[in-house]
Amino acid sequence: MSFVVRRVGLFLVTLWAALTLNFLIPRLMPGDEATAVLAQFHGVNPAALHALEVEFGGTAGQNPLVAYVEYLGNVLTGQFGLTATRTPVIDVILQGLPWTLGLVGVTTVLAFVLGTVVGMVGAWRRGGWLDGLLSPLLFILTTFPVFFIALVLLYVMGVAWHWFPISSNYSLGSTPAPTLAFVWDVLAHAILPGATLVITTAGTWIFTMRNTMVTTLAEDYVRMARAKGLPSWRIMVDYAARNAILPNLTGFAMQLGFVLGGSILVEYTFSYPGLGYLFFTGTTNHDLPLQQALFLFYTLAVLVCVLLADLATAWLDPRTRGA
Amino acid sequence: MPRLRSLTMLVAGLLVAAACTSSATPTPTLAPTGGGPTASVAPTGSAPAPSASGPVNSGKIGGKLVIDNESGSTWTCQFNPFNPSVSITSVGFIYEPLEFVDALQTAADGSNTVTPWLAASSSWDSSYTQLTFTLTDGVTWSDGQPFSAQDVVYTFQAMKADPAIDINALWQADGGPLTGVAAQGTNQVVFTFSGPAQTYFYYVADQTPIVPQHLWASLDQAKLDQYADTAPIGTGPYTMANCSQDNIQYMRNASYWQSKPGHPVPQIQELDYPAFLSNTPANLQLAQGQAQWGAQYIPNIQSFYIAGDPVHRHYWFPATLDVSIYPNLENPLLNNLAVRQAISLAIDRQSVSQRGEDGYEPPANQTGIVLPTYQSWYSKAADTTTFDTAKADATLEAAGFTKGADGIYADAKGNRLSFTIKTISGYTDWDSSLQVIQQELKSAGIEISNILDEDIGTYTTELQTGKFQLAYAEQTGGPLPYYELRQMLLGANIGSTDYSRYKDATTDALFNSYAAADAAGQVQIIQKIEGVMNDDLPVIPVVEGVDWYQYDTTAIGGWPTPDDPYAQPPVWAVPDNGVVLTHLFPTQ
Repeated sequence: MSFVVRRVGLFLVTLWAALTLNFLIPRLMPGDEATAVLAQFHGVNPAALHALEVEFGGTAGQNPLVAYVEYLGNVLTGQFGLTATRTPVIDVILQGLPWTLGLVGVTTVLAFVLGTVVGMVGAWRRGGWLDGLLSPLLFILTTFPVFFIALVLLYVMGVAWHWFPISSNYSLGSTPAPTLAFVWDVLAHAILPGATLVITTAGTWIFTMRNTMVTTLAEDYVRMARAKGLPSWRIMVDYAARNAILPNLTGFAMQLGFVLGGSILVEYTFSYPGLGYLFFTGTTNHDLPLQQALFLFYTLAVLVCVLLADLATAWLDPRTRGA
Repeated sequence: MPRLRSLTMLVAGLLVAAACTSSATPTPTLAPTGGGPTASVAPTGSAPAPSASGPVNSGKIGGKLVIDNESGSTWTCQFNPFNPSVSITSVGFIYEPLEFVDALQTAADGSNTVTPWLAASSSWDSSYTQLTFTLTDGVTWSDGQPFSAQDVVYTFQAMKADPAIDINALWQADGGPLTGVAAQGTNQVVFTFSGPAQTYFYYVADQTPIVPQHLWASLDQAKLDQYADTAPIGTGPYTMANCSQDNIQYMRNASYWQSKPGHPVPQIQELDYPAFLSNTPANLQLAQGQAQWGAQYIPNIQSFYIAGDPVHRHYWFPATLDVSIYPNLENPLLNNLAVRQAISLAIDRQSVSQRGEDGYEPPANQTGIVLPTYQSWYSKAADTTTFDTAKADATLEAAGFTKGADGIYADAKGNRLSFTIKTISGYTDWDSSLQVIQQELKSAGIEISNILDEDIGTYTTELQTGKFQLAYAEQTGGPLPYYELRQMLLGANIGSTDYSRYKDATTDALFNSYAAADAAGQVQIIQKIEGVMNDDLPVIPVVEGVDWYQYDTTAIGGWPTPDDPYAQPPVWAVPDNGVVLTHLFPTQ
């Protein structure tokens, strides 16, 4: 129990530190909202700067300490204000959230499953085609920059071969509706960005799994199970893998926390309107309320997932509870 | 394992070979840039285009127009016409101005062509301090309520009550000349100004959308800038029928005031305005023929777009502004006139236009007048634009500079002519132009040590505060050369648009006397300012920025063309977009 209390305490302290940094960092960026908005929209009379300064003026001359306290208060009560385009921040985030959760969340799970299975089977049948070919290939692919793979897939499969749509989350002109046609449309649009993410992240799970499996397979109880005549696949899955998966599992739980940040480069390349894309536009627009809200959700998600990963590990493996 | 190794090499090789596009680099649809020297023709394209008497308007209603403009973010479904982030989707389509000023069409005396719109006529008093509009009869709001002088008065009073929506800074409290607005009779509105205000006609009559008093007066008047206006009611040719984050659908306003029996206006039944997050999908939409009205920068437009249907697909890039090098005059080396002259002499503007801008943006000239758009304001006598590297050398040497061993000139104290130049990150065509400029200046002994790409907000702040050596920039301009030149050169604009930080009492006096002068007087003033541009070189125009504009005549006719420039053609130009919409008609 004291373990849980300590972990939750650490979580709260880290959360406070993250919130403070979230407050400071956007404010340290050069430039201000009014100039950024004016610069973004061509054809706007430069005299509009005055009007824009009145509109965003509140934040400029404020005492930082007062602004900080106000910021903490707003965070706790869920008030996130308006973006630079005068839309409620929470609306904008809720627009992008399901797409990022869908794309990045599902691909994280898929990459984890793929990587872990390849690692598991690769360790079991060392030297086979899976271990010798697929593992290194997937691993090499993780070293490529994600935008490079995205552009390759975009060009080859989208532009050159016309296999998949090259941008956005669903076809222009179609309205979101729970019909099979729409679901199919969304999946078709998600394949290229999804494939990019799976290809570039699956390899990271393989080698930890494989190496832990190799160590586990040398254990006595595995030899005992084989001697007792249990089928190979059952030993592999029920005994060896279950023990070997622990390090990967905690890594996976933490990785889930990073999902909310979206994958900025992938979303930008495919014009996928998720949270990663919002991060990008929020930063280029010096959109303070939007940036603060996004940073908040992102750090909160990561911290919560780290906490859950710690607790899950403690539950699954009693040996770690002493820490 | 040799088998694995060779296989891995093969796969790696394939991946490297397949990766060659970089079309995902963002190139925001630029505001008009640059101009041309002699009577050069703005770039147009397609097969021998049908002459001005193209498809004939049979008076039919129907058809659908898909707009193609990369806006950079999904729609927020707000339509407040005073919010610059969303006004391009509401002004022109739904909200209208008092009169329409055409930036691309000038009369013989140089003034803009003005078309009556919500106001049937207007007149100034002799001192240009009072402007009276007589409103058009029979105008109604899209909810059926009649339009009246009260709506006009209300709109301007609302801008006074909430300075955040006075986006042209018209009222005196916001730094403008407007002191009062009042209705006169049932259909007249009188504006009073603190001084001669001819130059503000454009902002009052063309750039202010009129909103309905019966709906807006009940809102919090101090917070109108935050009003979302999700169900906009205007006098315009279209109403907003449907909005999602990906697409806005507009439907024809059946009771639009310009319709006459037998001459319905507008004639296109439905508009779709999809949201594009980057240029690639927007350009592909045009190339695949799924959109008809484009405002896109398309590299290799002949092979990418026109080749798909050379008979019906066209483009026209009218020049409206200068893209120039702004030397920071507070830099001691750049303050030396000889250095600026040398820079201007060393740049082959034709080459920059061809190699840097694919020939889309014509070369500019040192007078700062954009050609051919403003031919009647241009003074050939004042224009000293030349490309002459030898003369550049001679100018620098006469001023006491000597060429060092590295080929770069330095002054007597050893200060080398080496400068950094700032530009906007993402404007890839500007980057290409700057590389050409860099090469050309190097052969004249001037070094551009670094081309600094910056995020547009940071860049703007640094240009305003003078934290740069050279900058590549353009102004917002206005419907006549006066606006752009004033933004560049007026001493009072140091800190906002006078990036060079140029200040000269005579030039200021010229600008300040413009508003009270008559048409001929105004031309003389501008020609004197052209002299200043050529004598002092406070700004060095390189190319002329253009409006990106593509149109497809397969199913829709009535587009603005170089022969008939009745409005500025891109869909983001407001309220010109509304004027274009009232001219379009279905051809099938």
